[in-house]
Amino acid sequence: MLQGMAAAAVTAPLFPGLSQAASNKSKPKRIVFFLQNQGFDPATAIPSGMKSSGSLAKAKLPEPIEALEPYKERLHIINGLHGTHTSPSHSAFFGALGGYRGSDGVPPSGPTIDYTLSKVLPETLLPHLCIGMDSLENMKAKPTVANLSASGAGQPIFMHSNPNFLYQMLYGGISQGTIRKRHEAQSSMFDRIEQLAAVKGGSLPLAEKQRYGQYVQGFNDINGLRERLGKVSSHLRRFAPEVDGGYANPKFETDWHDRLLDLGISALKSGITSVLTIGSGRGEIFGSWKGVGVEQQGHNLGHMKQPNNPIWIKIRQYNSRMLAKLVQELESVPEGSGTMMDNTLIVYTSNNADYQHTSGKNWPVMLLGNYDGAFKTGCFTQLDGKRPINALYTSILRASGVEVDRYNMSEQMAAKFDSGTGPIKEILI
Amino acid sequence: MNRLTLALAVAVFAWLGTVTQAADTYTPGKPVRGGFKAFAHGFLENNCFDCHDADAAKGDLNLDKLGPVDETNAAVWKSIWAQVTLQEMPPKKKSQVEIIDRLRFSDWIVTELQRVMKDKGGFQAHLDPNKGNFVAHDLLFGSLPKGVRLVPTASPARIWRVTPQEHITRLNELINTEPAFDPAKPGLRTRGDMVPTNHGGELKLYFGTDRIIRWEGGTVAYATAVKSVPGVLSSKRKHGLENYPDFYTVNSSEATQILDKAEDILRYMAYGPMSLVGFPEQITDDPKTYDKIKPKGDIRGTPIAIVYNTKIVRPLTPIHDLMKEEGVTDERLRQTVDFLFEAVTFRPPTQKEAADYLQIVKDSIAKVGKENGVFMGLSAIFLDRDALFRPELAASGKPDAYGRVMLQDWELGLALNHALSYIQPDPQLRKAIVEGHMRTREDVRREVTRMLTNDNIRKPRVLQFFRDYFDYDLGGYICKDAKALASSGAITGRGPTQHYRSMFDATASTDRLIELILEKDKDVLKELLTTQQFVAENNDGTYFGRKNSPEERALAIAAKKIADETQDKKEAAEVEALEEALSELEAKVKADPKNKDFRKSLDQKKKTLAATKKRFANAKKRRRGGGNVNVTQANISGSKIYARVSRRTFGRTNRPDRTLAVVPEGQRLGLLTHPSWLVSHSDAMDNHAILRGRWIRERLLGGGIPDVPITVDAMLPDEPKNTLRERMRVTRETYCWTCHKKMDPLGLPFEIYNHAGLFRATELNKPVDASGEITDSGDPALDGPVENALEMIEKLAASERVEQVFVRHAFRFWMGRNETLNDGPVLQAAHKAYRDNDGSMKELLTSLLTSDSFLYRKVGQSDPLKK
Repeated sequence: MLQGMAAAAVTAPLFPGLSQAASNKSKPKRIVFFLQNQGFDPATAIPSGMKSSGSLAKAKLPEPIEALEPYKERLHIINGLHGTHTSPSHSAFFGALGGYRGSDGVPPSGPTIDYTLSKVLPETLLPHLCIGMDSLENMKAKPTVANLSASGAGQPIFMHSNPNFLYQMLYGGISQGTIRKRHEAQSSMFDRIEQLAAVKGGSLPLAEKQRYGQYVQGFNDINGLRERLGKVSSHLRRFAPEVDGGYANPKFETDWHDRLLDLGISALKSGITSVLTIGSGRGEIFGSWKGVGVEQQGHNLGHMKQPNNPIWIKIRQYNSRMLAKLVQELESVPEGSGTMMDNTLIVYTSNNADYQHTSGKNWPVMLLGNYDGAFKTGCFTQLDGKRPINALYTSILRASGVEVDRYNMSEQMAAKFDSGTGPIKEILI
Repeated sequence: MNRLTLALAVAVFAWLGTVTQAADTYTPGKPVRGGFKAFAHGFLENNCFDCHDADAAKGDLNLDKLGPVDETNAAVWKSIWAQVTLQEMPPKKKSQVEIIDRLRFSDWIVTELQRVMKDKGGFQAHLDPNKGNFVAHDLLFGSLPKGVRLVPTASPARIWRVTPQEHITRLNELINTEPAFDPAKPGLRTRGDMVPTNHGGELKLYFGTDRIIRWEGGTVAYATAVKSVPGVLSSKRKHGLENYPDFYTVNSSEATQILDKAEDILRYMAYGPMSLVGFPEQITDDPKTYDKIKPKGDIRGTPIAIVYNTKIVRPLTPIHDLMKEEGVTDERLRQTVDFLFEAVTFRPPTQKEAADYLQIVKDSIAKVGKENGVFMGLSAIFLDRDALFRPELAASGKPDAYGRVMLQDWELGLALNHALSYIQPDPQLRKAIVEGHMRTREDVRREVTRMLTNDNIRKPRVLQFFRDYFDYDLGGYICKDAKALASSGAITGRGPTQHYRSMFDATASTDRLIELILEKDKDVLKELLTTQQFVAENNDGTYFGRKNSPEERALAIAAKKIADETQDKKEAAEVEALEEALSELEAKVKADPKNKDFRKSLDQKKKTLAATKKRFANAKKRRRGGGNVNVTQANISGSKIYARVSRRTFGRTNRPDRTLAVVPEGQRLGLLTHPSWLVSHSDAMDNHAILRGRWIRERLLGGGIPDVPITVDAMLPDEPKNTLRERMRVTRETYCWTCHKKMDPLGLPFEIYNHAGLFRATELNKPVDASGEITDSGDPALDGPVENALEMIEKLAASERVEQVFVRHAFRFWMGRNETLNDGPVLQAAHKAYRDNDGSMKELLTSLLTSDSFLYRKVGQSDPLKK
């Protein structure tokens, strides 16, 4: 259940984000990656007639993203990045957030930017949370899959798709009924496993004790996290979503999508995590959105043209409502002299670049939030297609205080795929 | 002299004697006494200051003020260690250090670096397999200088984490029944073989694919709809030996993922595909019955798109029985715990272990009921130490005079089993362990001899050694630039995806070729290096082909045009003949409309004409798009054989069919000239001559290469109009050449192949320069210029030294550590066994696996750093 927890969490302050916000000395940051599958056609987001970079102030957002109209001053639409090196046709899978070659069945060849940021940002109890949205059948039969995030080469990070399990993980200690019982049973089992593991380490030679100790420490971390979550249960109660019928008896897949989003938002607001990755379609080329009136599902959605397509308008509108909800919720929490949203960056894009069978020559992105004043907002930026998505990730790392010129791209690759170095000047303040 | 004075004099004499003896003898592994001032400074002063003091400071290195090892100068000391150990320094033209002094100084640096860096990330460089060659080859296989005193060898007591591949193969045993070995079709995947990676090179555990009889949609839909879980144990994916015991542990993220997947596995063990489906009707031998209730709409890519047959093929275990019954009994639970514990740890639980896990399961059932409690509780066993780490602790035996204890019973049996296999010991080995017949060297010899001669016992670990040693299995993971790949001739407008799949196919093909050579077990290394055979898949006509020069390409285009036109005409004539026959029939029908035979013939003729036109149109389309004019194809003919591939995971991939063919004459020689190896040693745009040269230097010649200094900007200039050789001029700068001279001249001979592994006579429209040179090999007979890779390989394959270096690598793989001088006798015996038995890998392995290095563990070692 507790995928993605880093061993380092054990030494972290309980809620560094909140404590820092309270002291108002430094501003914590948080980041959300929202990847819709099947491609993000720029025509579904760029205001009509807008051919070159400029302010969005007087522009009207297209129908698919009109839910973001009230948040236009926080929005930055970027067109003209590329990902030709990521093999994004159908999906770049891990390559979308890694900025390296990915494809179906290809294991990650390095860490992905969400994981890297989780190591950079101030530590939280759960440094990185991934949620994945799919058809109900897929989410039930495969409640965890790993397609988008990785902590290193050959080290995929799983995303959660069953909100019941995720709720148990985050709020098992304050839950009731079945979730509570399962939480207690699992807690007890984990305690016992740790004890057994520790006993078997007692007789090891000195050199091996340290290595095996890391294994035992892993259980200590897991159990410690649970305990610490338990200790701050009164704090968590303020943020934990209400468990309604949609958890146990979803009518549509979107019932679970909504609840997964609620859990993700609650994890951000409560300070449990500072990095949230949302995979709508879970990085693959299927997915289902019957709950918003899209009867068709799966691969054919990607074969359709997206602009002016009622189906894709509905899906993008649903995405946009989710984005708007994220902004609203984060705006509702005071932080420093502003709100949580002031220190947040939401990156919306597709793991499939601009369309399903793309070569990745264009990789449109929308940013929401200025990340504590680091990113320009309220504008549209047209780039020349010569800088890779890696440059966007470099920009975020720079804005997070990491002095890097490239992310997951060697100089040799850059000679071929990047016309510049360092962050993208056009998008940073 | 009074008695007291005499006694003192004797004591002093004796003490002096001890000092003299200690100074003259060197025992590998024994800590070197003395601090910086007393020991190391003198060595530096005598051997280094000439060039590296404040006045000379050659290479900007001043050792005058270096001082004792500390955190800030550790990098410099590490560099000194490498240079002195590899006998790079002092330079050959200077007076040389006595061997014993060099060994002692090298050991001192390592000990000091370990001490100083203990709480600062540690110092493990000397334990890295890439540094195995830092032990001088001549000291291992030649005579030792006077004063070197070896002690009987042993490996350290340790725990050894299972590899991702072992782990997945172990778990696969729980849910899939793999076919038994079929002597009529060797090469096909069978029980005990490693679980192959899928079409994209990902290691995954697949559920229920052996029962799928129908699915909706195409290839991608299938790949998404089937249930699979990726391996969760991390692994260093890089060149060289991947699996020393001290490399890995299991972190909390991996542990929680294992637990999650354990529940999935247990549910499948209990219920089979019923645990995967959305509707019970999906399990049927007549898919039409499912169609009656199947949800409407597009369900492709979802679990409800799959239909499974009703034949139970998974192993039926006590978990199945437990969940089939009503309620639970202690006896059934105990039986289940015992079964599962042995299935994942390969040994029966002790009474205490069984009781502990039984209690966990019972507690879980008490809290959440049988259904969830059984699966939750049993999943704990997947996290038992011995399910993830294999212990070699030798805790129960009595140490000999050297502090060594021989492994025995389960530890010895499982160590031997692990040397060859990824699954549980076969019944005979298990019986030997249980009945106390795994306690002596002869016991091991008996079992290893039996296992090596029994093909039913699969030996994936032997194959893994060759993968680790040759590094031929990385080609599919080398990201290729699409344009560079297209210009190599390997692909024709289909994009690089097909290339990656071809590379994974090539890995399977090379696996099979190695197995064929191992079957003969004669001059194994030489055969691997010089075989004229290759295992071919359909695309290998191209990959083993020759890249055409521009002139040849022009000729090929012209020839293709003529061939196409000839075929067009032939087909047109056939259509014309059919049309004529049709006209005649039409005339007959017109003349005699009531004749049924005429009318019937006319209908048939019309159908034939339509079908023929369609067939020819398709053929024409294929001709226009097909044919690779960039390449002269290699001839693929020979006996039909099989290679080990995954079950269907995507599209029409994973086909086991292969041909045992012969390489085009004068173009290839052994594995190092096969595309699988060449592409594994290439980069996105070009060949990787440095990596190839390094491979030859380290894996065949036994040479060592120091780490690249952090100040080096290892970039070749981007000059598309220059050859790689020309661009590599930058490595000839003095600062770089010290190391690059060991690699580049050994890697450039492979320039007769391009970066997709195709043979080429020209590069950038000029004849290819593939000249190189073997230098400082340690065997003067080998040294000298070579015209190309073929000449170089031929020389190397005949070398005894190369054989010995191969044996050193086999030692490292199977012992899980670098060799020390104390292992010299073991290495010599292994090489002798190999050589005396006509290059037999079996004999080499038997020798290694019955050696002290394999059988004995050093126990009760105190921390040398505390001394």
